[in-house]
Amino acid sequence: MAPLTWDDVGDRLYEVGVDHGVLYLPDSAGVYNTGVAWNGLTTVTESPSGADANPQYADNIKYLNLIAAEEFGATIEAFTYPDEFAACDGTNIDTPGVAVGQQGRQMFGLSYRTKVGNDVDGVDHGYKLHLVYGCQAAPSEKAYATINDSPEAISFSWDVTTSPHPVTGMKPTSLIVVDSTTVDPADLTSLETLLYGQAATPAALPTPDAVIALFAGP
Amino acid sequence: MAQRLQLHQLLETFTPNVYFQPPTNVQLKYPCIVYKRDFADTKFADDVPYNHTKRYQVTIIDRDPDSDIPDQVAAMPMSLFNRFYTAENLNHDVYSVFF
Repeated sequence: MAPLTWDDVGDRLYEVGVDHGVLYLPDSAGVYNTGVAWNGLTTVTESPSGADANPQYADNIKYLNLIAAEEFGATIEAFTYPDEFAACDGTNIDTPGVAVGQQGRQMFGLSYRTKVGNDVDGVDHGYKLHLVYGCQAAPSEKAYATINDSPEAISFSWDVTTSPHPVTGMKPTSLIVVDSTTVDPADLTSLETLLYGQAATPAALPTPDAVIALFAGP
Repeated sequence: MAQRLQLHQLLETFTPNVYFQPPTNVQLKYPCIVYKRDFADTKFADDVPYNHTKRYQVTIIDRDPDSDIPDQVAAMPMSLFNRFYTAENLNHDVYSVFF
């Protein structure tokens, strides 16, 4: 067996960037079958929480460590947002051009792409597709400021909490990450066709089970 | 119309003598405005440059120390006074303007 080595050529991996943001809105059955491009995405901060340790003592020792359930949250930052996101941000625009705030907040799905780089291919080595289910955005601050001596666009920010989606044989999850450097390229193309749509079919977010089945092979 | 030409037209409303990066052999007529590109601000999103705004150094040259042309340039959006100096009995007001 070969000894361990570190930092070999091609193994110096890193992750960078975020692009190809897509907002998915569910229909009345909860199927995310309407996807729209999210332009101006600057940051998506994944913030898992929970999984707190709850140690139990017995026989004068630490007997076991109970771990609480894990939750997934995120913060989305962008220069702008699609019109369809208004319903997810508590804004009703049933009357075109008139936005009524403090309404209900619709659930949504989200996908975005981050790049995987290495020392040989640079940032084009591969990428990861992040699929997020059951998102709900919390009210957030919008700091409109005067134009001054330098151009500063407002950076919108939303804190997002999630409700996990069922997965067959596993615990429910809100996050699936697909790594292009690992999965079959043809299957990845099929997934991207679903996520980003094509001429005849709109963009849609497949369920976690459908994503897993897509890459499970024949 | 290109952004710079729009800026040029706007400056011409302050004085008809407006020069963009004039060569040294051009005889300037006073009062005049001389401007040049000096910087650009880029905002990034979606892994690409999302917004790109050019900045110009705008210099008003006038024999009149009480000229109102600097005030008109100062009133432009994203205009910031940089410095003032005199040379050869001419008053120079330098502004940085994003446009």
